[in-house]
Parts: sequence; structure tokens; C-alpha cells
Amino acid sequence: MNDTPVFNAPNGTLQLPPQMSTLAPHVDWLYYLVFWCSVASFVAIVGLMTIYIIKYRRRPGRKSLPTGHNTPLEIAWTVIPLILLMGLFHLGFKNYMSGLVAPKDALQIHVRAMQWNWEFEHPNGTTQMNEAMLPVGVPIQFIISSSDVLHSFYVPEARLKRDAVPGLYTTLWFEVPKERLQGKKDVDVWVFCAEYCGAPHGITNGSEANTNHSTMRAQLHFVPQSVYDDFLKKGPPPPPECEGKPNVASCWGEQIYEQAGCRACHHTDGVTEQPGPNWKGLFGHNVKFEDGTSQVADANYIRQSILQPQAKIVAGYTTINMPPYRLSDREIDAVVAYIKSLGEQ
Amino acid sequence: MTVKAGVAIPGTPSETTDEELNYLNNKTGIKSWLLTLDHKRIGVMYLWSVLIAFLIGGVFALLIRTELLTPGKTIMEADTYNEMFTLHGTIMVFLFIIPAIPAALGNFFLPIQLGAKDVAFPRLNLLSYYLYVLGSLVAIGSIIVGHIDTGWTFYTPYSLEGNSSVLFMTGGAFILGFSSILTGVNFIATTHKMRAPGITWRRLPLFIWSLYATAVIQVLATPVLAITLLLLILEKTMTIGIFDSRLGGDPVLFEHFFWFYSHPAVYIMILPGMGVVNEVITTFSHRRIYGYMFVAMSSVALAILSFLVWGHHLFAAGMSAYATMVFSMLTFLVAIPSGIKIFNWLATLYQGSISLASPMLYTLGFIALFTIGGLTGVFLGTLALDIHLHDTYFVVAHFHYVMVGGTVFGFLSGLHYWWPKMTGKMYNETVARIAFGFVFIGFNVTFFSQFLLGSQGMPRRYYDYLDQYQPLHMTSSGGAYILGVGFVIMGAMFLHSLFKGKKASENPWGSAGYEWMTSTPPHPENFAETPVMTRGPYDYELCTEAELYEGFRSELPAALAE
Ligand code: HEC
Ligand SMILES: [Cu+2]
Ligand SMILES: [Cu+2]
Repeated sequence: MNDTPVFNAPNGTLQLPPQMSTLAPHVDWLYYLVFWCSVASFVAIVGLMTIYIIKYRRRPGRKSLPTGHNTPLEIAWTVIPLILLMGLFHLGFKNYMSGLVAPKDALQIHVRAMQWNWEFEHPNGTTQMNEAMLPVGVPIQFIISSSDVLHSFYVPEARLKRDAVPGLYTTLWFEVPKERLQGKKDVDVWVFCAEYCGAPHGITNGSEANTNHSTMRAQLHFVPQSVYDDFLKKGPPPPPECEGKPNVASCWGEQIYEQAGCRACHHTDGVTEQPGPNWKGLFGHNVKFEDGTSQVADANYIRQSILQPQAKIVAGYTTINMPPYRLSDREIDAVVAYIKSLGEQ
Repeated sequence: MTVKAGVAIPGTPSETTDEELNYLNNKTGIKSWLLTLDHKRIGVMYLWSVLIAFLIGGVFALLIRTELLTPGKTIMEADTYNEMFTLHGTIMVFLFIIPAIPAALGNFFLPIQLGAKDVAFPRLNLLSYYLYVLGSLVAIGSIIVGHIDTGWTFYTPYSLEGNSSVLFMTGGAFILGFSSILTGVNFIATTHKMRAPGITWRRLPLFIWSLYATAVIQVLATPVLAITLLLLILEKTMTIGIFDSRLGGDPVLFEHFFWFYSHPAVYIMILPGMGVVNEVITTFSHRRIYGYMFVAMSSVALAILSFLVWGHHLFAAGMSAYATMVFSMLTFLVAIPSGIKIFNWLATLYQGSISLASPMLYTLGFIALFTIGGLTGVFLGTLALDIHLHDTYFVVAHFHYVMVGGTVFGFLSGLHYWWPKMTGKMYNETVARIAFGFVFIGFNVTFFSQFLLGSQGMPRRYYDYLDQYQPLHMTSSGGAYILGVGFVIMGAMFLHSLFKGKKASENPWGSAGYEWMTSTPPHPENFAETPVMTRGPYDYELCTEAELYEGFRSELPAALAE
């Protein structure tokens, strides 16, 4: 258990974002300890400097006094800071360990980082792209991996980050206190990628979500445990924005297209065919493959193209590989509906 | 000559015969520069080169800050932005900060402060300059070959993907590394072997102590960079599986290698700046440095500690908890010698006779800004806080406070301080102070807002950001423009001085330092006769008033003094 002192500011302060984990108040206390010690040292140093500059400024008749020597003084200003710093080190290490070692009963969520998306996998195998529904009031351990380059899973409001390293699992855990819900249906927490992971070259929609390092972000929706359990059973529901639209599925599909990062490679204007094929008029079109065969693009083909993109490579696309996406059945249906809505042939 | 209260305004030089023999007029023509073995001329060539690099890196910085004025696209695409910050980082680190003080100012003043005729190996010195030029050209060539967007850290596996521009950039850094090793070797040998009679180790100017400590790090650490970059080049061209996890390599290994060099490199960058501060603060308070041996030894302690803390760059990288603990503890130790320096500088001001001429303003600026840089380093050394702050703008602000507030301010302090000696010309002091005002304010506005951005969770190297961060980003960009204006004013002031400046006297600042004992600009062999030092470079109590204000040589043969 973490028994270090706490500083509570649930909605954040001028310097720090809102506190969305049980760890955050501990970290923030330490932050403000270091902050005020620093302010005190800075004021002392620059204050003395200013006083000396004024008091001993050069003026007619002012001569400097020869420098003396004072070994006890030298030793004092070596040893006193050393003791203070070792105290800080100790507190810092303690809080670090409590963010690293998860409680035994923590809910385990796999996080897979890939250029420029976050995939979350729940214990029952349900996956979500760039968003995840999670319960409040329970410790959640994130097991982080990367399928391409380095990334870093950063949750500012939890005060935690851990790199996603190809070939290595890293972990971190935190728990969002129940009180943070404050009667709302859910609270959202941002995930950023904090380790530089590049951008595609020459793509014009660089500022859309999930198209480069700076937009590689995900949102964690924290909900009551009961809602989470329900979600695990049925898979993710269509987003609220699409409810009541005439074509809920294609509206949802378009959202997935934006949020899951398909947009980084696929255009829908019927013109641009790079880096991935254009989706306009794809549905029902006869697609030619690299191996010479061809097939009409139907729902099954689109499903396979998403789950196993390497199974059939469209002719002319050998240089860029599309990564496989683990979307739920409902989400795939939505993407199919969306592609269909872009026009059939 | 008049002495105004509070400031030593250099007056007209002690009327010496107009065309004295000096290192600038002893030979003329382009070949006399390009093939020179004179450390002073090599120093001047280095100075021009690093200033050009600084200008290029600065333009990239302004482009970056302009792009960040608004979220999303402001003036460029994401991939161009990534290229901009990569070029800004690599050029500023490898082409500017590392060579700036040692290779430009150090080359010029190390032999003079030692009373030597030249460095120990003048030919090696020239070679090091040409390696610098070659390395810079190869590095900048990466822009032409393709698109370099790895960041100055070249982290694998990202740097293993992509085009061959990474090979050029790392190849350039590899060559630049050799240039810096050669300078280091030269300085070590010169300091050991070529001190004039009377310059004992305890009378060594502190600038030399810091260059010496720097040289030791350069010689020991730079080969590691060379090996790392070579491994990266091999991995990229031959895929042998050192860093690529798909081939059984380990990408984190690269991070270890890289920081094993690059943390010590931080001290390659900051120690020389501290050396300049030692010289300037004693000159402008007319007082021997407080705790000379503590200051000298703290440089050496920093040099040693710098090799033991590289792991603090990997606290979030999945290193073992024990390694993390040890690296955090060692990192805290670095604060001690840094603190000692600050306390000793303060104690030097105490009971001095302080003049606020422009070099001193930069030095005082250094102390204030380096203090902020150091204190924010304590945040980052504290493990739990680093996990929040790592790879955010907090880190960006922290190292700019150390590298710009520290090293660049130290460099500017040295440039203002030694400019009269190097060029023989004075500059307009009022304009210099105005430029300082712009640079100091602009710098703080730019980077203080970045501390807040970072503690609020804004990651670094971001082309785009959430709307909530925009006010701070705009503030930061505004500061960058003020900073830019400051540098333009300063550049104009120095150019004006070069062409129209008043002639500088031998010792315009009234310093007791050895380099002020020779003529201005210095004699081709530094001192017309080998000097014999009978006192230390900071023994103000042994100097007469006349020495301090009229220059030393005017005391010498009557023929030279009016
Ligand atoms: C890294 C770029 C990239 C991303 C991101 C990407 N794709 Fe692709 N996609 C490709 C390429 C290249 C092809 C053609 C080669 C192939 O068939 O694998 C392709 C092919 C397809 C096809 C078949 C198209 C045709 O014309 O036959 C479908 C369907 C598809 N992708 C769906 C998706 C969906 C859905 C997403 C987002 C969840 C997505 N892609 C994200 C690059 C990408
Ligand atoms: Cu990333
Ligand atoms: Cu470091």
C-alpha cells in the first residue's frame, strides 16, 4: 500500500491535469514538495545574487575584498543538499514502485501499439481500437506491447506512462476512484503516445486522428462495473452520435474509418489510390490481385481484407503492408455498410 | 580614460603604434586562413562555422514554433514538421553546441591562457576543423538525399525503417565525433605539456579546468557514439539483428548505447559554459573565485558522474526496477557538484566590486537560468515524477534551460567578453544590453510556458495537439519571436563592430586573467616573449589599480605607454 502523503485536487491545478487515478494525489504531493523546495532555492539564490549586485556594485572608491576561505561552509553546502535529495529519492522510488507493481486481483487489459493506433483487448477477447470501455473502482493492469516501432502509453491524468517496446511486454496499472463519476454516465481519460513514432510521408490529412505520432491517441471511457460487464457480453455498442441516424451502421462505419486510422491509407474521394486503394465504388467491384486472380468485393472479401490483409494483396500494392485489424463482428458489419454507402458498381 | 560608476566602459586604447604585429595582419590572403596552423585563426574559422550552424538551427526552431501556433496544420505537413525538429536537434547538438565553446573560444584562448605559442598538435587541430566541415556537410546532405525524421536520438527500430538519409545524418555525426576527439586530445596534451613557467595546476584558469574535464569526456565517450552509430549503420544496411527485435535484437539496447554517450555529452556541452562563467564572474567582480579547488574539482566530479547516470533517460522504457533505483540515486548526486558551483559563484560576488557590462549580464543570466534548469532536473530525477514528465514538454523546457540558458548564455558571455581581444574592436555596449534584454525575456517566455505544457501532459515532438494546450503554445511561439529579434540585434551589433567598431585596448574589462596580458589582437605567437607568471589569473589583490584599468602592457616598456 502507498502510505506517502497526498495532495487532493481532483480537477487539477494550474500545473497539473485532473487526478484520475488513486496514485495521482500521491504523485502530486511529491510534485508540489519539489516545486516549493525549488522555488525556495531559486528565490534564495537569485535573491542573494541581486542583493550582492546592488550592494557591491562598482562605484568610485569601491575595492573588492580578497576572497577568503571557509571549508566548513563548503562542506555544509555539499552535505545539506545531499541529505534533502536522498529524502526525495526515497519518496520518488516508493511512488514509482506503487505504480509498477499491480495488485493481484487487477483486471488485465492488453494494449497493442502500432503506427498510429492503440488496440485494447479485454479478458474475453473483445477488442477496441483507439478507445476502451473500462470499469471504475477496480485496479486495471495494462499489458503493453508494440507491433512495429517504439511507442509510449501515456495517461497524464493517471500520472503514468510506459514505453511499448517491440519484443517486450511492459506493464503499468492504475485505478480510477469511483467518486470521479460524480453521477455521470462515464468519464473520459486521454491516452497519448509519448515516444516519437513518425508520420507517413506526403499525406495531406496529417492532422486527422490517428494518422501520425502526434495524433496517436485513444480515449478510455470509465463506466460503472455493471455497464462494463454488459459491454463485455455484447461487444461495443454503436456510438451515441449515430443513434437515431437513418443508417446507424454506415455512420458507425465512418467513425471507425476515422478513429481506427483507416483514413491514413484509404481515401474515399474516388481519386487518390495511395497509399491504399480508394474505397469509393469498391463494393461490388472486381478486384485484381497481385497473384493474377481476381474477386468481386463483397462483405466476405472486406471482412477478410480487414482481419487478414495479407491473404490477398491487391495488384500494385506490394510496398505498403496493411496491418491486420481485430474489429468485432458488429464493427466489421459497420465498416462494410459504410463502404457500401460510398457507392456500388 | 574615464571609469563610470558601476561599469567599466572601455575607453580609448592606450595609444599604441597603429599597426602592431598581430595574428590577423601577419599574413593575408585566403590560403593564409584555409591552411593556417595558428590556433587563433582555426578558432576564428570554427567560430564562423558554428555561428552559421546556429543560424540554420535557429531558423528551423522558428519554423517549428510557427507550425505550433495552432493545432493541426499551420504552415507544414506532419512529415515536414518531423523533419524540421530532427534537423533543429541534430544541427544544434552536433554542429553547434558541442563545438561552440571548446572548438571556437577554447581553441583561441586555451593556448593563450596557458602562455603557450600554440596547441600541442597544430596539424591535428586543422584536421579536426576540416573533419568538422566534412561531417557537417555530410549531415546536412541528408536533407538532399531524403527525408530525415528520426529525431536527433535516432531511436531504433524507427530509424531502421525509412530511407538512407539516416545513414548520412549518422555518418555525419560519426565524422563530427572524430573532430571532437581530436580537439580533446589536443587540449589534454597542451594543458599537460605547454604551460608557461609559473602556471601551476593551482594557478590554471578555471576555463582551462573545464575544457580539460570536457576533453577527457570527449576522448572517453565519443568512441561509444561512434560504435553506436556504426552498429546502427550496419544494422540498417545488413540487418544483422542487434537492435531489431524481429531478428532477435533489442531496441532498448540502442537507447542504452546512445545515452551512454549522450548523457556525458550533456557535460561536454555545459562544462565549457561553466568555465566561461568562472572567468567572467571573477573579472567583473574583481575577485578571486571562491573555493577555487572546489570549483575545479566539481568539474572533474561532474565529468566522472556523467558516465554513471545514462539510465535516467530510460525510466519509462521497461528497465528493471533495481537498475531504475540505482540510476535515480546516482542522478541525484549530479546535483551536488552543480550546486557547489552555484554557491561558489554567489560567494565570489559577495564583497566584490561588481560591474554589469554585457558579458556579466549573460553570466548572471546563466546562473539564474542554469539554476532553473538544475532544479527542474530534480523533478526529473525523482522517479515517480519522471514517469509523468518524461517525454513531455517539461523535458524540452528543462534541457533548453540547461543547454540554451546554460551553454548558449555561457557562449554569448564568452563571445562578448573575448570579442575585443579576438577582433581588436569594441562593440556598442548599449545595443549589446538591449539585445540581452530581448534574448533573456524571449528565452524565458518561450521555455517557461513549456514547463507548464509538460506538467499538464503535452508530449514532445507533437505536430498536432488538443485545443486545451493552445494558449501556452502561442505564448511559447511569441517568446521565440522575441528571442529571434534579440539575436538579429546582436548579430547586427557584432557586424557593426567588426567594420566600424572602436579600437579595443589590451585589457578593456580590467581583468587579471593571463589572456589580457598580451596585445590586442594577440601577437601571432600569443606573447612576443614567453611570459613568466608570478601570480594566479584571479589575484586581484596583487594587481594595481592602473593594471586593472589601463591594461597590463602599459606598465611594461615606456615606449608602448603614452
Ligand atoms: C498502413 C496503411 C493502411 C491502413 C492504416 C489500412 N489499410 Fe486497408 N489496405 C492497405 C493497402 C496497402 C491495401 C491493398 C493491399 C492489400 O490488399 O493488402 C489495403 C486494402 C484494404 C482493403 C481491400 C481494398 C481493395 O481495394 O480491395 C480493405 C477492405 C481495407 N484495406 C480495409 C481497411 C480498413 C477497414 C482499415 C482500418 C481499420 C484499413 N484498411 C487500414 C493499407 C492500409
Ligand atoms: Cu506512437
Ligand atoms: Cu542525461
